[in-house]
Amino acid sequence: MKRLLASFALAAVLSPAVAADAPATAPVLLTGADLYTVSHGVIPAGQLLIRDGKIAALGRDVAAPAGATRIDLAGKRIYPGLIAANSILGLTEVSAVRATNDYSEAGASTPEVRAEVAVNPDTELWPVARANGVLSALIMPRAGSDGVIAGQAALMQADGWTYEQMTVAASVGMVVAWPSARVPDWLPEDRKQRVREGVQKKRDALDRALRDARAYQAARQAGAVSVADLRDEALLPVLEGRMPLLVLANDAVQIREALAFAAREKLRIVIVGGADAWRMAAAIKAQDVPVILGSSHNLPMRRWEGYDTVFAAAGRLAAAGVTLAIANDGDAMSAMNERNLPYQAASYAAHGLGAEAALRAITLAPAQILGVADRLGSLEAGKDATLFVADGDILDIRAVVERAWVAGREVDLANKQSRLYQQYQRKYRGEPKG
Amino acid sequence: MLSTPKQGVFRGQAALVNAADGGRLNELLIAPQAALQLAFEQARGSDDYPTSLMGAIALIRQTFLDAQWQQQRLGWQDKHRQAERIEANDALDALAPALAGRQPVIFATEDELDYQRALAIAKEFSLRPILAGNGHEYRMAAGLKSAGVPVIVPLKTVEAPAIEDPDLALDVSLGELEHWAWAPYNARVLAEAGVDFALTAGALKKPDEFWPALRKAVEKGLDESVALAALTSRPAAMLGVDDRVGTLERGKRADFIVADADLFRSDKARIHETWIGGRRYEVGPGPADVRGSWTLTWRGANGPAQLEIAGEAAEPAVTAGGVSMPATISQRQLLLYPPGSLFGRSEERVSMVATVDGDRLQGRVPLPGGAEAVVSGQRTRPAAPAAAKAEARPALPAFPLRYPAGEFGRSGLPAQPAAVVVRNATIWTQGPQGRLDGADLLVENGRIAAIGTGLAVPRGTVEIDGRGKHVSPGIIDAHSHIAIARGVNEGSHAVTSEVRVGDVLDPTDITVYRQLGGGVTAAQLLHGSANPIGGQAQVIKLRWGADAQGLRFDGVTPTIKFALGENVKQSNWGSEFTSRYPQTRMGVPEIMLDQFLAARDYAARRAEKGAAPVRRDLRLEALAEVLAGTRIVHIHSYRQDEILAFVRIAQRLEFVPVFQHILEGYKVADALADLGAGASTFSDWWAYKMEVVDAIPYNGALMTAQNVVVSFNSDDAEMARRLNTEAAKAVRYGGLSETAALDLVTRNPARQLRIDDRVGSLERGKDADFVIWSDSPLSTLAYAEQTWIDGRKYFDRTEDRAEQARIDGERARLIAQILPERVKALAKKGDKSAKKDDAAAPAPKPVGHDHDHDDGFGLDRLRPIYHDGESIHLCSGLEAH
Repeated sequence: MKRLLASFALAAVLSPAVAADAPATAPVLLTGADLYTVSHGVIPAGQLLIRDGKIAALGRDVAAPAGATRIDLAGKRIYPGLIAANSILGLTEVSAVRATNDYSEAGASTPEVRAEVAVNPDTELWPVARANGVLSALIMPRAGSDGVIAGQAALMQADGWTYEQMTVAASVGMVVAWPSARVPDWLPEDRKQRVREGVQKKRDALDRALRDARAYQAARQAGAVSVADLRDEALLPVLEGRMPLLVLANDAVQIREALAFAAREKLRIVIVGGADAWRMAAAIKAQDVPVILGSSHNLPMRRWEGYDTVFAAAGRLAAAGVTLAIANDGDAMSAMNERNLPYQAASYAAHGLGAEAALRAITLAPAQILGVADRLGSLEAGKDATLFVADGDILDIRAVVERAWVAGREVDLANKQSRLYQQYQRKYRGEPKG
Repeated sequence: MLSTPKQGVFRGQAALVNAADGGRLNELLIAPQAALQLAFEQARGSDDYPTSLMGAIALIRQTFLDAQWQQQRLGWQDKHRQAERIEANDALDALAPALAGRQPVIFATEDELDYQRALAIAKEFSLRPILAGNGHEYRMAAGLKSAGVPVIVPLKTVEAPAIEDPDLALDVSLGELEHWAWAPYNARVLAEAGVDFALTAGALKKPDEFWPALRKAVEKGLDESVALAALTSRPAAMLGVDDRVGTLERGKRADFIVADADLFRSDKARIHETWIGGRRYEVGPGPADVRGSWTLTWRGANGPAQLEIAGEAAEPAVTAGGVSMPATISQRQLLLYPPGSLFGRSEERVSMVATVDGDRLQGRVPLPGGAEAVVSGQRTRPAAPAAAKAEARPALPAFPLRYPAGEFGRSGLPAQPAAVVVRNATIWTQGPQGRLDGADLLVENGRIAAIGTGLAVPRGTVEIDGRGKHVSPGIIDAHSHIAIARGVNEGSHAVTSEVRVGDVLDPTDITVYRQLGGGVTAAQLLHGSANPIGGQAQVIKLRWGADAQGLRFDGVTPTIKFALGENVKQSNWGSEFTSRYPQTRMGVPEIMLDQFLAARDYAARRAEKGAAPVRRDLRLEALAEVLAGTRIVHIHSYRQDEILAFVRIAQRLEFVPVFQHILEGYKVADALADLGAGASTFSDWWAYKMEVVDAIPYNGALMTAQNVVVSFNSDDAEMARRLNTEAAKAVRYGGLSETAALDLVTRNPARQLRIDDRVGSLERGKDADFVIWSDSPLSTLAYAEQTWIDGRKYFDRTEDRAEQARIDGERARLIAQILPERVKALAKKGDKSAKKDDAAAPAPKPVGHDHDHDDGFGLDRLRPIYHDGESIHLCSGLEAH
């Protein structure tokens, strides 16, 4: 019995981490482009060597090894792949059609569910985002209306025949949708009451889940567990500090409560969303909690707040020294336009964050927060060759992404939309539909 | 009291009744049909008309028209004896007195914007309006005065907002905080402005809150005589019964009250008698006032004794020889507990029961052992009248009222300098002059006077340094739902062309200001897409600080919203919405065609001379205007099949619509170009519902290439603030030139709205609606520094910084001021709920169907003005309703 349990635990930890088959391809030397390394500034007109799926070398003077393919990219820019650090790409296709939605499981607490297993490798949405440089994404299960622990998030890349090949790292965080105590004053009293009751239920569910998991942990250590409990099992890495909680929290009360919770329960958390985070930046910094800030393309939450309150949030957090990534909002409307990630980072840039920090917040910063900075997030030797070529500043809408590599494989930037574009240009040239 | 029916839009006739009990009904009635009662109420169900404020107003308008028509038609048939007779209609008959001005019409209002809405209807039908207020009248006192409209003002207690938790206090707006400070002065402000008003207890929870609330108003500076008039002569005059009631005059009804003190100031004042129609009602007589100096005498030991009675009439404080004793008074019975020593006894206290009759009393003191002292008393001196307190009139709150209230409000429209010049900027004229570097823009009296380099300007011209800046025409959003009050959709019926967004403009919507911060200067406010034929739209300029009327883009060609596809066939509304026609894309064009044919027939009948008066039908009238070319259809559309089907209808009926959304327009751009139809689309939305799975961001460029006039719109309160960079997506996807891309959000929407003679490009003679950007407007790093409309600066980033600082300061100051009251209220509430907890647990509430799902639909209608500006009515998204 003990052996069975041990092998189960091993499987839970290792199973998703199946590496994509690395095809043996010739080395590729990208030459002449400005290299936006993120980690080490810009290398003007440099070279970058891709070999065995990795960045083998980069600099001003990298020689092409024998058999290497040279690609001249003079006047272009090379960036590390953008990381959409809060997404449901692949978990939804047409959100109005329920059958295509797989992002929200039933139940108040579902820590056992794993995002990667439901990612559709043939989604039409990701190729559209990929064509704009979004080469990896943190795919997060979402909580339903009564849910609080939504499940495990996975870091996926924009290429692979199967979900396993797309998975860069499974179980990088446990998603918790922090209940919001905000009750609009204009709601009728009976509705207010129902909202409050709902919030309390969620809080209770979260407490209960942790209590149960701790009891389970103790029982397990005492050898008293005979049949594995998937839910409790899933929370063990959280209790052991190996997996952070990705806490979706936007308003001040949510964030304050989440911080207190993390301190009390001695758990690692990442604040995701964080619209009000700048209001308590010092407290967040003091607890060393990273923030994956939601989209700048939201209205201020409150009437009295300045028109630029949301735009200015990232700059304020950065100024306070908070570890900061920028993402979209992880809903269906964001999934269809994950490609706009760099532009919403740009709005933060324009209102106090600055362009360099904005770029870092959608590349290296999320990689670091999510524990994959050894593979992604910057142009550095030894990291995955997950990068793209643009003809201008990726934060500017007018720039066009021309080529992209994921783990050393060049990917096709054509997608459903570009194909329809080609097709209907033919219509107006008088060609048959075919 | 005026007894008013409480439900519906046309609620019925209010009756003035007296409070006499018993008797026959007609003895109670002073005026049986004193007023017609109206309210802008919306139906509760999602398919009961009207679901929206604009629907309620349309219903009122159509009903009054019907009543007018009925009178005309009856008059006509009297002269044409052979003609067909119409059926009697008592409901319409009942409106005749109001329409003839013989009966006042009371409009119930919910917020400060409803006053204007009610007055507009009153003016349209020459009614005699009375506004039933809501507690915000003080904000509009000048307007109410100049309108000369009587107002029934509710006495109200405004609870202190919940600000004790600093995190939750974030959710309280400055407007709400200021209302807390101003609301107690409501009646006083009206009095000082000279508004004709009556006071009502109707908004109070319990009748016994009335006098305290009234005294509070007086304490806050409401003149007593005005308060009295507002409860007597003013309401009598408003209801036209001042010949009978309202004043104490010879010949009027003997309706009056007798009180023992100043009812308006003293908490202890009591009404002793109420006379109604000459009948006396003794109100459970209050305690006799025993205050003063008394001499008590009795047989036996000691005596006489001197008593001094002070305190309140109801709570006398009694002393004898400087020693106080417990005392209570109930009506005429005085109960005292004098020390036993007074009667020569050793007991600490004895009791004395006395009956008071004016200045005399008779009492007994039962003494231990069965004896009894019989006491008689005589008042030797009445209580000294309390020194009249110097009436310090409290000062009004120190901060001025702004419009809109609180944050970012203004005390007037921004100034219009005689001349303004922006120097040495990159100017995107979007006109024949193209894009000019290092150029000047000269504005005079709200219009563009010249564009060029090194312009000579009149003396005194305001100079703005434009070096390094870009100037563009103001952004125009051809598809917006901001600034619409209480419902964007009249989603009840499939055809609602009678409803008008223009009736329900909300100039206080904070998104108006926020969009100025994104360079937006004009927008078309469209009805939603819940039905095939929606409501009439309104084009506005974003004149933040103006009232509803002031937002309107004057002289614009009227427009109307139509819709195709999933929303109108209710595909995403849930499984219970399967019976309203149409449910398919087959039915949609047919219902439209059917209505157009009916409208054509209607217009012909209306034009006929000599026939019976034809009932005005506002629903068909709007469609007849479309056929006449005086109203433009803006039609929500996605798939190429539905687009083409409507193109064919438009061709058959010879009108030229503008297609909204039109995400598959690129597939039939040739047909659009043939028709000359405009296309107003999103830059890059797609995939979220079935009808947008083939949407592509190249849509705008492809249609432009086929010579369709294309604009990019927002349909979203947030995205509108970035339409300049949405336009840049047409450079990214499809390779439009930068100028052509900026046209998508400036010149082209102006052309689609037929306002391009006024706005959309920077050309001599056009309105001075422009934006000064920090960088190229197509750059994601650019932000608007200044936004000008009509040569007035409506947004300035530097001024905005100062305003944000003022708001922070004001909020902090008011929160500190409110905190003590709030703490007190919480303590009281804590007491109450603690007591409640002791009682049995309340019975579980039944779960009503209408509460089972929060769809954002029911709730939105409950939301007051000055709400947070989150958008919940995407007419493109899943929530069409």
